[in-house]
Amino acid sequence: MPVNWKKLSLLGLILALLIVLPLVMDLGSNVMNVMVTLFIYIILSQSWNLIGGYTGQVNLGIVAFFGVSTMVTHFLWKAGVPIYLAITAGSLSSVVLAAVIGLPTLRLRGMYFAVGTLALAQAAQTIVGNIFTRTISMPGSFSKDYSLTPRYYLGLTLVVIAMLVVYAVARSKAGLAMVAIRDDEQAAQVTGVKVFKYKVIALLISAVLAGLAGGLYAYVRLSFWQISIVFSPAWTFDALMAVVIGGGGTLFGPVIGSIFLVVLSEIFANTLGQAHLIVFGFIFILVVLLLPQGLVGGADVVRPWVVRTRRSGQQATEA
Amino acid sequence: MNAVIQTVLIGIAVGALYGLVALGFGLIMGVMKFVNIAHGSFIIVGGYIAYWLFTLLGIDPYLSIPAVMLVMFAMGLILYRLLFSPLLKYPRAEMRLDKSLLITFGVTWILDNTVTLLWTPDTRSVVTSYTGSTIDILGAKLGLTGLAGLILAVLVAVALHVILTRTYFGKHVRAATEDSGAASLSGVNVQGTYLMSCGIAAALAGVAGVVIVSSYSIAPSGGLDWLLTGMVVIVLAGEGNIAFILPAGLVLGLVQSISTLFVSPAYQQPIALIIFILVLMFKPKGLFASRG
Repeated sequence: MPVNWKKLSLLGLILALLIVLPLVMDLGSNVMNVMVTLFIYIILSQSWNLIGGYTGQVNLGIVAFFGVSTMVTHFLWKAGVPIYLAITAGSLSSVVLAAVIGLPTLRLRGMYFAVGTLALAQAAQTIVGNIFTRTISMPGSFSKDYSLTPRYYLGLTLVVIAMLVVYAVARSKAGLAMVAIRDDEQAAQVTGVKVFKYKVIALLISAVLAGLAGGLYAYVRLSFWQISIVFSPAWTFDALMAVVIGGGGTLFGPVIGSIFLVVLSEIFANTLGQAHLIVFGFIFILVVLLLPQGLVGGADVVRPWVVRTRRSGQQATEA
Repeated sequence: MNAVIQTVLIGIAVGALYGLVALGFGLIMGVMKFVNIAHGSFIIVGGYIAYWLFTLLGIDPYLSIPAVMLVMFAMGLILYRLLFSPLLKYPRAEMRLDKSLLITFGVTWILDNTVTLLWTPDTRSVVTSYTGSTIDILGAKLGLTGLAGLILAVLVAVALHVILTRTYFGKHVRAATEDSGAASLSGVNVQGTYLMSCGIAAALAGVAGVVIVSSYSIAPSGGLDWLLTGMVVIVLAGEGNIAFILPAGLVLGLVQSISTLFVSPAYQQPIALIIFILVLMFKPKGLFASRG
C-alpha cells in the first residue's frame, strides 16, 4: 500500500499542534478538561471499535475492563507505585478479566454475547458497589499539586498508542480474520479462519485499550464518591455510540464519533440540559438506519454526489 | 419452617413478575428474531403512565391497566413501523439481529432520558390504600400487590398462550416464527403479524410496568435491570419457547429468593446473572429442552 503522504502530514500537523498548543498558550482548565475527557473517550471507543467495529461482536460490558483498571490503577497509585506502572498494571488486570469473561462468553453467538457481557458488567457493578460502600480518594497531597498538563500529555500519548495499536491490528492477518468474522462468521469458519481464536485476540487487545482508558481516568479523577460509578453502563454506551456514529471498523471513525459526542455535549449540556442526550439518541438511530458506515462512511456517500453535481455543472457551462 | 414458606411465597410472587417482564421480550425475539433492548424502558414507561394516571387523575393502578396497555400497544406499533420494518430489507438474520440491537439501544437512550426529563431521576411508586396490607397463606404473609401481580402474570401468560394456540392470528404468529419465508408463501401476512406482535409485546411491557410501580418502585435507570432479568428468563425458558417463559420466571424467582436464606439479598442480581451464564454454557437450549 503506497504511503499517503498528504494524509500522513495532515496527521503529523494535528499531532504537533496538540503537543505544542498547551505549551505556548494557556488553554484554561475548561478546555484542558474537555480535551482529557476526549482522550479517555477516544481510547475507550477504540477499544470498542476493535471488538465491535472490526470483529462485529457487540460487547455491552466493556465497562467492566475499564472499571477494573481504574480501581487497580487507583489503589496501586495510592500505594506509591508510579502512575505509568500503575496504569500498565491496570491494563493487565483488564486483560486477565477479559480472559476470564471472554472464554465463556465468546462461545456465545450473536445476541448472547451482547447480553452475557452486559450481564457480567452489571454483576461486577453490583459486587463492587456492595464491597466498597465508602468514598474512595487519593490522599490530600495529590490534589494539592493537581495539574491537568501531565494528564493531558499522558492522555495524548495513550491516544497515539491506541491509534497505533488499532492501525497495526487492522493491517495484520488477525485484522483480516476479524473483519471476515464480522462479515460472515460461517463463511469465515468454512474458509479456515479460526473464529474463536481471533475473537479472543480481539477481545484481549480491546481489553488492553479499555484498561488504558480506565487507568487514565484514575489518574485524572482523584476521588470517587461511589466507586461503582466507574462500572456504570453509561461508559459502554458512550463508547458504542461514539464508534457507531463515527464509523465502526475504521481507524478514524471512533475519533470523529468521540469528538462529536464530547464537543456536542459540551455545547448542548448548558443550553438543552438532559434533552441533549435525547438528541444524541435520535442521531444514533438515524446513523444506524441511514449511514451504516457512520459519519466517516457518510463522507464517501456524499463525495461522489458532490463530484457528480460539480461535473454536471461543468457540462452545463460547457454546453 | 415459617421462614421457608415465606421465602417460597416471595419467590413465587417475584418469579411471576419476572415471567411477565420476559413475555413481551420473548415474543418479539421468538417471532421476529429481533432483540428489543428497549423492552426494559418500555416497562418503565408503562409504570410511569400508571403513576401519572394515579397521581393526576386518581385512577387505581390496576384499573388503569387497559389504558396503559393501549398506549403501549400504540408505542409498539410505532416502533415497528418506524424502526423495525426498515430492517427487514437485510437478507441475513444475524445482520437484522445486530441492527435491531443497536437501534433499540438508541430507543432505550431516548426513552430513558425522556423519562428522566419528565419525572426526574427519583424513584417513584404508587401508594394506594391497600399497598401495605397482606394476606396469610399457611402462616406466611403475602402482600396484596404481590398477589395481584401473581394473578395478573398468570392471566396474561394464559391469555397469550390461548391466543397463540387457539386463534387464527396465533397460527400466523407461529408460522412466521417457524419460517417466515414459507409462511409468506402460504399466504400469511408476515408484516402484519410482526406489527401486531410488536404491539402486543409493548402492551405486555405496560402490564409489567403497572405491576412494578404498584408493588415495587420505578426509576428511569431501572429499565436495564428489568431487561437483564427478562433476558435471563428467556435463556432459562429457551429461545422461542413462549409457553415456558412463566415457569422459567418462577424458577428464577424461587432460586433468587431461596438464595437470600444463605447470602445477603444484595447479591440477588449477580446470582441471577451467574445462573444465566451457566445455563447458556451448559444448557443453551433452555432448562426445559428435552435432551438431544
